[in-house]
Amino acid sequence: MIKYKKDTDNIVTLTLDMGDRQLNLVNHQMYQYFKPVLTHLQKEKAKGLLKGIIFTSAKKNFLEGGELDYLQTSVDAKEIYEHSLTLNKFFRALEHPGVPVVAAINGSALGTGFEFALACHHRIVIDDSSIRLGHPEVTVGLMPGNGGITRLLWLLGLEKAYTILTNGKKYRPKEALKVGIIDEIAKDQKTMMEKAKKWLLENKEGRRPWDVEGESIPEGTAKEPKIAKVIQKLAAKLSKETYNNYPAPQFILNTLVEASKVNFDIATKIESRYFTELVLRPETRNMINTFWYDYNAIKKGINRPKGFGKFRAKQVGVIGAGRMGSGITFNCIKKGLKVVLKDVSKPIAELGKQYSKDQLTTLVEQGTISAEEKDQLYANIVTSAKPEDFENCDLIIEAVYENEMVKSKALKDSEQYIDEYAIFATNTLSIPITKLAESSFRPENYVGLHFFYPVEKVPLVEIVKGKQTSDETIARAFDFVRTLGKIPIIVKDDWGFFVARVQNTYILEGITLLQEGYPPALIENLGLQAGMPKGALAFADDLSLRMVLKFENQAAAHYGSQYEPHPAVSTLNKMVEGLDRSGKFKQAGFYDYTTENKKLWDGLKEHFPINQTDFDIESIKERMLFAQVIEAIWCLQEKVIASVPEANLGSIHGWGFPAFTGGIFQYVNNYGFDKFIERCEEFKNNYGPRFRVPKILKEMKKTGKTFV
Amino acid sequence: MTEVLIFDTLRTPLGKGNGTGALFEVRPIDLLSKCLVALQERNQLATQEVEDLIIGCVIPTGGQADNIAKTALLHAGWSANTPGLQINRFQASGLTAIGLAAAKIKSNWASLIVAGGLESMSRIHRADNRGAISNAPDIMNKIGSIPTGVAADLIATLEGFTKEQLDEYALKSIKKANTAIKKGYFKKTVLPIYDQNKIPILEKDETINLDLSEEHLATSTPIFPKNNRLGFEAVAFRKYPLVEQILPMHSEENSAKSADNAAVMLIGSAAKGKALGLKARAKIIAAKALSTDLTITHKGGIEAAHAVLEIAKLKPKDIDLWYINESFAAPALLFQQTFKIADKKLNPCGGNIAFGEALGANGVILLGMLIDELERQKLKRGLISISAEGGIGTSMIIEIV
Repeated sequence: MIKYKKDTDNIVTLTLDMGDRQLNLVNHQMYQYFKPVLTHLQKEKAKGLLKGIIFTSAKKNFLEGGELDYLQTSVDAKEIYEHSLTLNKFFRALEHPGVPVVAAINGSALGTGFEFALACHHRIVIDDSSIRLGHPEVTVGLMPGNGGITRLLWLLGLEKAYTILTNGKKYRPKEALKVGIIDEIAKDQKTMMEKAKKWLLENKEGRRPWDVEGESIPEGTAKEPKIAKVIQKLAAKLSKETYNNYPAPQFILNTLVEASKVNFDIATKIESRYFTELVLRPETRNMINTFWYDYNAIKKGINRPKGFGKFRAKQVGVIGAGRMGSGITFNCIKKGLKVVLKDVSKPIAELGKQYSKDQLTTLVEQGTISAEEKDQLYANIVTSAKPEDFENCDLIIEAVYENEMVKSKALKDSEQYIDEYAIFATNTLSIPITKLAESSFRPENYVGLHFFYPVEKVPLVEIVKGKQTSDETIARAFDFVRTLGKIPIIVKDDWGFFVARVQNTYILEGITLLQEGYPPALIENLGLQAGMPKGALAFADDLSLRMVLKFENQAAAHYGSQYEPHPAVSTLNKMVEGLDRSGKFKQAGFYDYTTENKKLWDGLKEHFPINQTDFDIESIKERMLFAQVIEAIWCLQEKVIASVPEANLGSIHGWGFPAFTGGIFQYVNNYGFDKFIERCEEFKNNYGPRFRVPKILKEMKKTGKTFV
Repeated sequence: MTEVLIFDTLRTPLGKGNGTGALFEVRPIDLLSKCLVALQERNQLATQEVEDLIIGCVIPTGGQADNIAKTALLHAGWSANTPGLQINRFQASGLTAIGLAAAKIKSNWASLIVAGGLESMSRIHRADNRGAISNAPDIMNKIGSIPTGVAADLIATLEGFTKEQLDEYALKSIKKANTAIKKGYFKKTVLPIYDQNKIPILEKDETINLDLSEEHLATSTPIFPKNNRLGFEAVAFRKYPLVEQILPMHSEENSAKSADNAAVMLIGSAAKGKALGLKARAKIIAAKALSTDLTITHKGGIEAAHAVLEIAKLKPKDIDLWYINESFAAPALLFQQTFKIADKKLNPCGGNIAFGEALGANGVILLGMLIDELERQKLKRGLISISAEGGIGTSMIIEIV
C-alpha cells in the first residue's frame, strides 16, 4: 500500500497505492499501516540517512476522505472523537520526522486527504485542470476534524481560512495556488518530482510554524483588535446566511476562534470535539443523506430508463438568446460542447454570446481556466438566425418566451433540420409538454428540460416526460443533463411539474397567513428563519402573482370536481385584479419597488388589517414547511415524481427548501411519522383540508416504512 | 434584619494553570456556565427568581471581559431578567462577591442571589494585563508595591520562620488534601467537566501533587533568590528599616501555583428558600473587609479575622474550623500562630499550597470546603479569611444550620 524508494541523496519517496481500489482513501486506520514506515524513517533519521520525504500517489487521485459511511452511521461520540485523535496523531507524526516532507500531489486531494497534504511541510501540485484540492466537507454539513482547520488557520490567518473552509470549493491547482493552500505548481510529474527534491535539499529543517517559538498566526489571534472585528462581522454574516440552522460553518468559526487562543495541540483537540459534535448532529446526517447518498443514487441513474446506451451529445442548438438561452449556452460550452445559438436575428444572438464571454472572463480572473482555454471554449459558439444551421445538432433546446404559440412556432421552424436520432427539448415552466408536442412530427423525441435561473448556479434540471415522450428520449435527456454536470430529476407532465407546484404551496401559505391577519414582516422573517431562501410574499412577487394564480387554476382544472379551493386565491385575485399589484415585474406587488430597496407595501395594512398579535413562532414556521411537504407527498402519490432522492434534491436545489433538513421527504423522516401526521391533523382542523394527510403517508406509517 | 442563608455551592475541578492542565481547552465562559447549569438542575431552580449573579474575577480581560456574569447567565440559558455583575478585589474577589450578595439579602434589597468566582489562569495571563499597581513606576515606588513573593519572604524574615518550618506547613497542607481526595470529601461540590459530546475533560482536581515529599521541599529552589530581588528590597526597607536583608524562603512548592476554576454559591433569605423548596446548609453571621499595609500585603487576612470576630462578638476558641488562603506558607503560618489554631482545625482538607489558587474563585472554593467539612464533622461554626494584594483582607463567619 505504500511503496518505499530511497535515492542517493537520502531522499525517500513514499508512493500511496492503496489495495485494489481505484482511489486512495484515508481513514482512521491509516495510522496503523503507516506506523512501521514512520518508525523505520525515524531510525534512518537517527543514523543520518534521511534528508527528506516525498509523498506521491500511484492512483488516479492523491488522497481523499473515505469515512462517510462510518460517520453517517456511528452513534458513539467517544469512538468518533478517538478516531479523530488517532488521525490527528498520525498527521502530527507526519510533520515530525525531523526532516522536511513534501506532498507531490499528482491527483485530487480532498477533505481528509487534503488534511494529510496540509500536514506536509510543502505542497507541489501538477497543473492539471482535472485535479481538485481543498475542503468540500461543509457541502455535506461536515468540517475537517483532524487538524485541518487549525493548520489552515496557521497558514492563512482566520478570515482566509474561514472563507476556504465554508465555501466548500474544490480548487483547481492554479486557484489553489492563488488562495494559498498549496505552495507550487509543476507542469508535469517529472517537473514536480524535481521541484520536490530541490525544495528538500534547500530546506533541511522540517518544522512547522506552530512548532517554532515566536512564530505567530498570520493577521493575529482572536485577541487582536483587528481580528476581533473580523469575528464580529463573520458571526453576523453567518447568522444572516444561515439563521443558525447550519451547525457546520458555526463550528468551523468557533474552532478557528478558539484555536487562535491556545497552542496547536490543544487547538486540534478543540477541533476534534467540535467535529465529533457535528458528526452526530441531525442536520449533518440529513445533509450527508441527501448531498452524498441521494446524489449518488441519482448519478447512478436510479430513475433513468434502463436499456439505452449512453447518449453523448456533441453539438447543441439553442433557440433564444435571452437569459435562459444564454445561460444554457454558457453551461454547454463550459462542458466542451459546441453550441449553435439562434435568435430572430444574428445581432440578438450575438448578445447571448457576449454573456458567455463575460462569464469566461470571470473564470480567467479567478484562475479557474487559462486565457487559452477561454479562447478554445468561446470558439465553440456559433450564432445564427437560420434554423438550417441546426443541421448537425444532437439536441435542440428551445428557450423562447413562455407562450404556447411562440414555442410551437419555434418547434415547427427548427425540428425539420434535425434527424430522428436527435431530441428536441423545450425549456418551459408552465406549459404542458404534451400540448406543445402536438406541433411536433416526432413527439416521441420531444421532451421538457426545465432549467432554473440563474442557469450556471442552480444545479438542477427537471426532465418533463410528455404523454408521447419515449423512454429512450428520457434516457438521452438524462445523459445530457449529466454531461452539463447537473442533477436531473424526471417529472410527470402535470401542472407546475414538481418544483413549481410544490413551491407554489409555500407562497400560497404565506398569502393565507397575511389574509388571516398576520403581520407581513412576520411572515417573511419566519420564512427565512425556517430556512427558506426568501419570504413567501417575496417569492410571489418574483414569480408574479399571475403565475401563482395560473398554477392554482391549472390545479383546479386538473382535479375538476375534486378541487378544494385554496383560501389564498381570493387575496391573489384582489391583488392582481382589484389593486393591480401583480408582482415585481409590474414594480408593484406585496412589496413596493419604487425606492432603491424593496419594501413591504404600505397598503397591506389597509387591505389586510393585522389582527393576530399573539402567535406561536414555531407553529407558523412549521405551517409554511408542512404545506410544501404535504404537496410533495401528493406528488409522490400521483407519480409526478418517482423517487425520494429526486424529491429531496429537487426541493433543495429547485426552490430552496432548507438544506439542513435534508430535503422535503427527509424532513418527515427526521420529524417522525407519528408526530408529523398528528401535527397535520392539528393543522387540518385549524387551517383547512389542504393539510389532509395523503393516503400513501398513512400506509407508510402502518408498515413502518420511511422515505428512502 | 433578614438572616442570610447559603443553600448550595458547587465548583469545577481545579485544573492546573498556565496552559498545562486539562481545563486550558475550556473557555472561561464555559467553566462558569457549566456551574450555573448544574446549580439550576440540582436545585430545580426557577432562574427568574435569581435577582443577580455576582462574580469575582481578577483578570477581567480577553475571554473573561465584558461583564462575564451577564454572558454566562445567557449562555447557561438562565432568565434574561437577571442582570449579572463582575467585581475585582484581587484574591478576595470571590469572598467579596458572597459578602455583597449577603449584604443585599440582609437589607431586604434582594432575596436570592448567586455569587461566585472565576479565573482561567491558563487562558488569561496576569503578566499580559498589568495595572498601575505593578506597571506604573512612579506609583509603584510611591506606594511601595513589591511582588507578593518578596512580601511573603519579608514576613518570614520578620517572624524568624525557617524554610523547614514553611516546608513543614506546606507538607501538612498537601497531606490533608490527599486524605480528603482519597476519602472523596469533595464529591458533593466538585462538578466534573465534560465536553459537548459528554466526553470527560476533567472529573476531579488535578492540581494536587500527590507525590510531593519532604525531600522535594527541602531541595526546592526559591522563587525570588537573593540575587534576583532587583531593587524590591530597597522599596520594602523604606517601610521596614529594621530589616537588614530579606531571606529567600518561598519556593514553588511551599506557595500556591495557579489554577483554573469557577465556583458558585446560591444565597438567599429563609422566606425565599421556603417558597422555592430550597434547603439551607449554612447561614452567614458576619463579614468584614479592610486593608493593611500594601508592601507586606499578606497581613490583611489576620486583621480582617480579628475584626469579624469582634463584629460577631466571638473569640477564636468559638470557631470550630478555619479556612484561609495559602498564597504563601509564611503568612498562613503566621495566621495559625496568631489565633493559636490546631493543625486539624485549619484548612482541614488542605489549602492552596496543595490545590493551587484560581484568583477570583478562591474565596468561593474555600468557603465551599469549609461548609462541606463542617457538615461532615458535624461541627457548627467556621471562619474564612483571605489576604489579598494591596494589603486587603476579607473575612466571614458562617454557621451550619
